[in-house]
Amino acid sequence: MKKLLFILVALAFIAGFASAQEIAVIVKTGNSSFWQNVQTGCFDAQKELKAKTPKLSVTFLGPQSESNVAEEINIVESAIDRGVKAIVLAPSDVTALVPAVKKAKDAGIPVVVIDSLLTGPTSNYVSFLATDNDAAGRACAKELIARVKAATGGDTGKIAVMSYVAGVGSEIGRVGGFKDYIAKNSHLQVVTTQYSNADMPTALNQTTNVLASNPDLVGIFGANEPTAVGMGRAIAQAGLSGKIVAIGFDGNAALQNFVKDGTLQAIAVQSSYNMGFLGVKTAYDAAFAKKQVPAKVDTGFIIVTKDNIDTPAAKNVLY
Amino acid sequence: MSDTHAPRKDLPGHDLAAAPGRSRMALDRFLTFGAVVVLFAVFSITAKNFFTMRNILSLALQTSTTTLMGIGVTFTIITAGIDLSIGSVVALTGTVAVMAAIAGVPIWISWLVGLAVGMVCGLANGLLITRLKLPPFIATLGMTFVVRGVALTITNANARPAPDAFGALGNNTIFRTGNQFPGISYPVIIMILVAVLFHFVLRRTRVGRYTYAVGSNEEAARLSGIKVSRIKIINYIICATLAGLVGVILASRMVTSQPNSAIGYELNAIASAVIGGTSLMGGVGTVGGTVIGSFIIGILTVGLTMQGTNYFMQQIVIGLVVLGAVAFDQLRNK
Repeated sequence: MKKLLFILVALAFIAGFASAQEIAVIVKTGNSSFWQNVQTGCFDAQKELKAKTPKLSVTFLGPQSESNVAEEINIVESAIDRGVKAIVLAPSDVTALVPAVKKAKDAGIPVVVIDSLLTGPTSNYVSFLATDNDAAGRACAKELIARVKAATGGDTGKIAVMSYVAGVGSEIGRVGGFKDYIAKNSHLQVVTTQYSNADMPTALNQTTNVLASNPDLVGIFGANEPTAVGMGRAIAQAGLSGKIVAIGFDGNAALQNFVKDGTLQAIAVQSSYNMGFLGVKTAYDAAFAKKQVPAKVDTGFIIVTKDNIDTPAAKNVLY
Repeated sequence: MSDTHAPRKDLPGHDLAAAPGRSRMALDRFLTFGAVVVLFAVFSITAKNFFTMRNILSLALQTSTTTLMGIGVTFTIITAGIDLSIGSVVALTGTVAVMAAIAGVPIWISWLVGLAVGMVCGLANGLLITRLKLPPFIATLGMTFVVRGVALTITNANARPAPDAFGALGNNTIFRTGNQFPGISYPVIIMILVAVLFHFVLRRTRVGRYTYAVGSNEEAARLSGIKVSRIKIINYIICATLAGLVGVILASRMVTSQPNSAIGYELNAIASAVIGGTSLMGGVGTVGGTVIGSFIIGILTVGLTMQGTNYFMQQIVIGLVVLGAVAFDQLRNK
């Protein structure tokens, strides 16, 4: 693996990526439309900033899968080694990336953290840009409670949480906020929490089993993109579309279709584009313009339902 | 992987003579099958709705893909090899099949395109192993990255919705009688046909007998005139083609291609083979054993979920079962 990385880095040198004007964007994985949307934001920011700094180059890197924490650490360290100007990082683990970020800080490279929480002293990085996952989780819970009330006239019954990777920062905030809001504002009971590892067929199977063993389930929450797609597919295949309150997270084409056909009542869509766009701009301000940047930036989310899916506000965040 | 010089006690082979070997295999099969029955009984009591016709069919559908991958990898493991690229091949074949369907290729041909892509991946694995003399572990590990990279590149990592008709293979059923009997899903039928076919191939054909011979003692097989390279290539093609079949089935079940899905699926397939009595040292293994092995994992996964067992505990239980099954096998072989 080291050898492979070495070769890649060497190639990057040859290609001239690692000129002294590089901002390295390092995300959890390059492999989903969510992160692709982040990438679009990054490159749009690059286009805009090139007017001021023509030699600026933004590189976009990430490991094969979201659970490959060690590889992400390697990518950060190699970015430090080749002397990038700034790093925009979406940490795939709340603690494991701390030493690497500290190393960047000691090397005088400002780090902007996006999407997911990082523990350790906040002085390690210059800014944190993310969806307020806790608030988004609570908003999903609020939507679910309201729809259960509308359907059954009460706020009692069983619900299930279909989560993705246990213990990553965004999951802790999102699912934690969801469960906390449910517990404090309703009498709904979370009967099970499943983790799909962000794999669509796994989420489909898990949801099928949860629906089979809990025929009296009133609601279900799918906490990220592939998980919500698998969950929606399972609900449709069980013939339960519209008969159970289902809330999803993120907003690719498949999820938009589920909202339109009534399988999912609502999806919470984060502005992943903003994370990339504002992430690169913040990193630029800190590294090139030497400006003081805000310590925390909320990139926002929007609850998309059948009623607002065609409005400009929703279209702006959907991808 | 196989030490070709070490004399093996169990030669001249389980396949050719070996009456005692066969009766022991029968005992093994009986014991692992007993484990399936016990697990099934336990979950029928502890998990609500587990023992219903609908759920048994759902369990078979969920397990069918692991079974198919397991049967394929059993062939490579019997030759003392391994295939780590299965998960990536599943992702690529599903992706290509969906893209073909979107491009307007007739649906059933798009499924065949997926299989063909799998076949090509298997041929590449086989050539890397036999021509470049790469150890199977390394050859297929390298292919894991290459194949995944191709899947991501051609889709730009986006999940793509497939035409509705593409979903037929994964979601349609036969023998459906309204609500009493929900019907048997196509993937389950495919799994049964594939298992019977490859059981026959392994047991009754020359390719099957040579596969055991190559895995038991490669040098002896070569000296007795078996074209070892050709047998190996055939085995890797069988494995990757079945992975391609799984890729098409899963993409059809999701009616979507997900180029970053199926990461780590090869491990479930390998675990199924090993629980079913396939030896990683080569020369030993059966299709029937792997089918049972995959159902042990499938029943555990579905049963523990339906029973409401904490997800983290599920991981521990499944891991312990894999360890226990292999340890049991080792002790009895002493």
